[in-house]
Formats: sequence, structure tokens, C-alpha cells
Amino acid sequence: MSQTQSLSTDTVVATRNARRTYYLGEPVHALDGVSLSLPAGSFTAVMGPSGSGKSTLMNLLGCLDTPDEGEVEIGGQRVTELSDSKRAHLRGTEIGFIFQTFNLMPRLTAAENVTLPMVFNNDVETGRRERAEQLLTRVGLGDRLDHVPSELSGGQRQRVATARALVNEPSLVLADEPTGNLDTDTGAEILRLFEELHAEGRTILMVTHERQVAEHAEQIVHLVDGEIAEVEQLDTDASNKRTVTTDETH
Amino acid sequence: MKLTESIRISWRAITGHKLRSTLTTLGIIVGIAAVITFMVLGGGLEQDVLGDINTEEDTGIQVVTQADTGFGGGQTQSVPIYTQSDVAAVSNVSGVESVTPSASLSAVQLTHGGETITGGSGSVYGVTASTSDRFESELYNLTAGEPFGAQNEAVVNERMVDLRNEVGGENLTLGDELTIQLQDGRQLNLTVTGIVDQNTGGGQPRVFAPLEYYDTSVETPSGDEERAYPALFVRAENVDQVETVKAALNDYLQNESAAAELKTDDQTIAVQTVEDAVDQFTAFLDQLQLFIGGVAGLSLFVGSIGIANIMIVSVTERTREIGIMKAVGAKKREVVQLFLVESLILGIIGAFFGVLLGLGVGYLALTVPGWPMVVPYGWIGIAVVVGVLVGVLAGLYPAWRGARVDPIEALRRE
Ligand SMILES: Nc1ncnc2c1ncn2[C@@H]1O[C@H](COP(=O)(O)OP(=O)(O)OP(=O)(O)O)[C@@H](O)[C@H]1O
Ligand SMILES: [Mg+2]
Repeated sequence: MSQTQSLSTDTVVATRNARRTYYLGEPVHALDGVSLSLPAGSFTAVMGPSGSGKSTLMNLLGCLDTPDEGEVEIGGQRVTELSDSKRAHLRGTEIGFIFQTFNLMPRLTAAENVTLPMVFNNDVETGRRERAEQLLTRVGLGDRLDHVPSELSGGQRQRVATARALVNEPSLVLADEPTGNLDTDTGAEILRLFEELHAEGRTILMVTHERQVAEHAEQIVHLVDGEIAEVEQLDTDASNKRTVTTDETH
Repeated sequence: MKLTESIRISWRAITGHKLRSTLTTLGIIVGIAAVITFMVLGGGLEQDVLGDINTEEDTGIQVVTQADTGFGGGQTQSVPIYTQSDVAAVSNVSGVESVTPSASLSAVQLTHGGETITGGSGSVYGVTASTSDRFESELYNLTAGEPFGAQNEAVVNERMVDLRNEVGGENLTLGDELTIQLQDGRQLNLTVTGIVDQNTGGGQPRVFAPLEYYDTSVETPSGDEERAYPALFVRAENVDQVETVKAALNDYLQNESAAAELKTDDQTIAVQTVEDAVDQFTAFLDQLQLFIGGVAGLSLFVGSIGIANIMIVSVTERTREIGIMKAVGAKKREVVQLFLVESLILGIIGAFFGVLLGLGVGYLALTVPGWPMVVPYGWIGIAVVVGVLVGVLAGLYPAWRGARVDPIEALRRE
């Protein structure tokens, strides 16, 4: 199995030589030519040191940001060629983004935060609370529906963000350290949820610093200084994994 | 995004910052309240003065002298220029039924039931000498009794009755005896036969006495000494003739009369039908209302700047929230919608409370002069439209700023 696949119809997301540079006096290449493709229904983990460009990559794939060079494609469409409102539409309907910093609305309750994407989707207003309750229960927060973020712990906020990412039944789930603030038990709970999502056929990209967490995925992309250092394939049986470097596939 | 949904979200943003929202709408409330208050006062004054005057059926025409003040038409002056010969000539104009000269007598003091009310120039009350014909005009509304008939009789207006009551002692009623000391030394003993409503008499307490008591004379252009009056009330034979009589009077008075020669250059002879008087008054009132309305409108403008300012602050403050909304799928148009709805709500609330406050203050203010309440529906409509417009205009720029927020940049903010 080749790691840099050609963009086929079953490829949900792909980047080709994507580069994102910040100019702060010195140019900082947050992403320095990343080529990656996520086949439909795949479960990929991203690992790498702090500042290696993981969140930057997530932003590109999440249609929040556009590359300075190279391409980002979603469902066969180049993101750079999409209009502003098309991109917003993709964010609201196809992509579930769990932010590293949660990004919850401070004045809305957990339930309202979860259903916020529905507001911009012209969804019916009835049944929203039930939907929020169902999702929050799924992340273990069935008893925190009416708490605002400031009344929740860090891990609880993270789980509200997770529930929100799933509210519109996204085909692509982008999770930036979804277990970063969780204890082992709750983390395991969330990972079980990701496995369920995977089983449902959604494409998942998950950033993590923990090896055991990453091993729930099918492959691990190792980012170093904005470049893919290695793509590691994992057998579904986690005890038997093999390592392939990107260099071999070029 | 549905409108109901954006209203709900905007409403939460507004109620989430109660003090700020209140201060914001205050500008609009005050502006609109000012407009409504002045319109209530103006409407009350108009209703009070013109209330039940039937302008189209009155045959009365008044001849007065005006000095041009340049604001709201001329100001009526009391100069004795209409001579006895003018009166005679006017009564011979075809279509004229009667001519009633009118003049004021300078009273020094007035005594009733043992109490004395001091008069003098710039006095709190006035004494008018005229024939009783004037009480047939629509402008004179007898609320009790009848016009004076004999020498020693008089009619007073309601303000005079009120003035008498303020002094204390007996009330002034029909049949009472009034003693008026004139400046020239004469003393009039008059019996009250009738009371006219409070609008009659130029807003002043007034006693109407028979014309015989007036004896001011002037030297006519032809060199004779003749009695002359500061105003004439002419009555046409019927309603259809009012306009022709008016034209004929104008023709004679402006060109051939002694008055035309006796008046000074900056004085004009004004021949007015009741309708003209009403029109002049409403024109004056309209100008006044327009002026005050303009001032109030200016404060509305300031109020709208207040809304815009708060909305801009609010956009800056909520940049991160806008970023979150965009990140989960909000389009530019939807962000614009949210902010516009928010400022629209502020505008509508401002208009609503502004109208309420304006009506309330206007109502209270009306009780001072005792004018009737006339609800200015037209202006309420205008105020609401203006409130909405101000809301939309004030929200446009902040909304546009909000829509431009880059989600990545916004989410970076702590
Ligand atoms: N808006 C920005 N302006 C300037 N530099 C930026 C900006 N965003 C990211 N960077 C830089 O890009 C690099 C990659 O940042 P990124 O957030 O992608 O790292 P990360 O891999 O997610 O790190 P972490 O594990 O700490 O979350 C960092 O060196 C960062 O300083
Ligand atoms: Mg990161």
C-alpha cells in the first residue's frame, strides 16, 4: 500500500506540497511542503513535537485556512478555488473540528454549544436539545447540559467540543489532541467513541502526543518542523506494526 | 440562518450586556421622546386653540395691523389707525353686514366683591372695547350667559374668572358687578352678562366692554380729529361672500383708507378671515414644530452614532466568538445578519420606549397649560421608522467588520 496515493474518488482529503508560511520578520514555515492523503473511512493519527505544524495542518484540512503554496483538496475540490461561503458550508456540514483550545462560546450552555453548528445549517429548531443530550451523554456529560464553559473543567470542555464536532454527522472528523486534558479512563472512553466513528465509516485525523492514543489509528503521520518525517502503518492488531518512511514512497 | 434564530441569538447578546445595551438605547430613547413630546405639546396647543372652530362656516373677517417679524408671519400690533371714516367706508362695501371696531382700554385696577386686582401696562389682564357683534363669530365661544347689550354690561373670559379665583374671596359669576378704573381717570361699573371660553382674548384674562367706553382719536390725513381703532371685525352677509368681501376690503384699506396713510412703513394692514387666522396659526405652529423636531432629530442622529460605536466595540469584543461561529459553519452573510438584527432590536427598543416616554412627558407637560392630549399617531409612526432605520444604519459598518473577521486570527485570541 502506497502512502502518497493519487487523488482517487474515494479520497476524502488530501494535501499536495502544502506550504504555510508566517512572516514575523523571519519567515516561519509552519508547514513546509506536506503531501498527505486520507482515504475515505481511514483513521490517521498525527504526532510530532510542539510547534511542528500539527494544528496548522488541521486548519488547512478543516477549511479554516488556505495554503500559501500547494493544494488542499476535499472531496475532489480544491479548497483555494472555493468561495468563502462554500468553505463555510463545508465546515458546517462535512467537517467536525475538535479544536486544541476547544473554542466554545462562553455565554452558551454545553447543550447550546453542541447545537451551535445547526444554527448555521438552517436545521429545524425542534429536537435540538434531545440531540445535544444524546451527544453529551455519549461523551459522558449527560448531566452537564446547562452548564456554561466557565462552569466546566478543562476535560469536560474538551468533551463538549467533541460532542459539537459530531452534531452535523460529519464525514471528516479533525481532532486536535482530543484526549489531551483527560484522565486515562475518560480518554479511553473518548477513544472508544472515535473507534465507533471509524466503524461508522467516517474519516478521522487525530493529533496526539501519546503513543498509546495514536496506536488506535491505522497510520501515524510523524511531523517534524513542518515536514512529514515518517508515515507509520499500524496493523489493526496493534502488537504487529511496521514502519515505512515517506522517503521510501517518493 | 432563520430570522427567528438570529433574533434569539442577538437578544441574548443584548441581555447579556444589560447596562451597555441600556446606555446604547438611551440615545435613541431621548431623541425620539423629545420629538414625540414636542409633537404632543404642539398638537395639544393646536387642538386647544382651534378645537371647535368651524373655519368654513364663519363669516367673520378681522382687520389688524402687523409688524413683520420675519418669523411665523407678522406680529399683531395695537395701533389706532382705522378711523371712524374708514369704519363707515368699510360698512358700505357690498356684502358687508356689520363692522365692529375693537380696541383695548388701559385699566389701572379692577375691583370685584371687595377685592382689587391691579392693572397697568404689561398688565396681567386686559380690557377690550367693542360692539357685541363679535360674539357671533365662531372665534368667540360663549360658555355661559349672553353678549352684553346695554352700556353698563360686560363679558369676561374664563381666564379672567380663573384670575379672580386666584385672588380669593368671591367667585366671579354672571350678574356680578365689576368696577374698572381706567388710566384716563374714568371708572366703569359693569355687570357681567356672559363668559367666553379661555382661548378668547389672546390667552390673557380679559374683560370685553361696550365700544362706547373707547375714545382715542387721531389726526386724519385730511386734518380732522377722528376716533380711530386698532382693529376691526367685519362680518360678511353670508359665507359665500367672505372671499369677495375680503378682496374688496383689502382693495379699499390698502389703497384708499386713512389707515393706509396712518400706518408706518414696516406695518402692514392684514385682512384675515377666520380661516386665514387659523392657517397663519397652524403655519406658525408647523414651523415651530419643524424647528424643534429638527433639534430633536439631531439628538437622534447622535443616538445612532452611540449605537454604532457600541456595536463596533461589541464586534471587537466578540471577535473570538465570531471566529468560533465561522469555524462551525457561519457564513459572512449570517454574521452580518446577527449584528444587523442586534442593532435593529436596539433601535426598535429605543423607538418603543422613546415613544412611551415622549407620550408620558408630553401628557404631564400638557397639564400645566391645560391643553388637551392629541396622540400624534403620524409622528409615532415616523419615530418607529426612524428608530428602525437608525438601527440598521448604525449596525451596517460594525456588521461588515464582523463579517470580515478571519476565523484563524480570531481563534488565536485569548
Ligand atoms: N498565526 C501565526 N503567526 C505566526 N506564527 C505562527 C502562527 N500560527 C502558527 N505559527 C507558527 O507555526 C508553527 C506551527 O504551529 P502549530 O500551531 O501548527 O504547532 P503544533 O504542532 O500544533 O504545536 P502544539 O503541539 O504545541 O500544538 C509554530 O512555530 C508557530 O509559532
Ligand atoms: Mg497544536
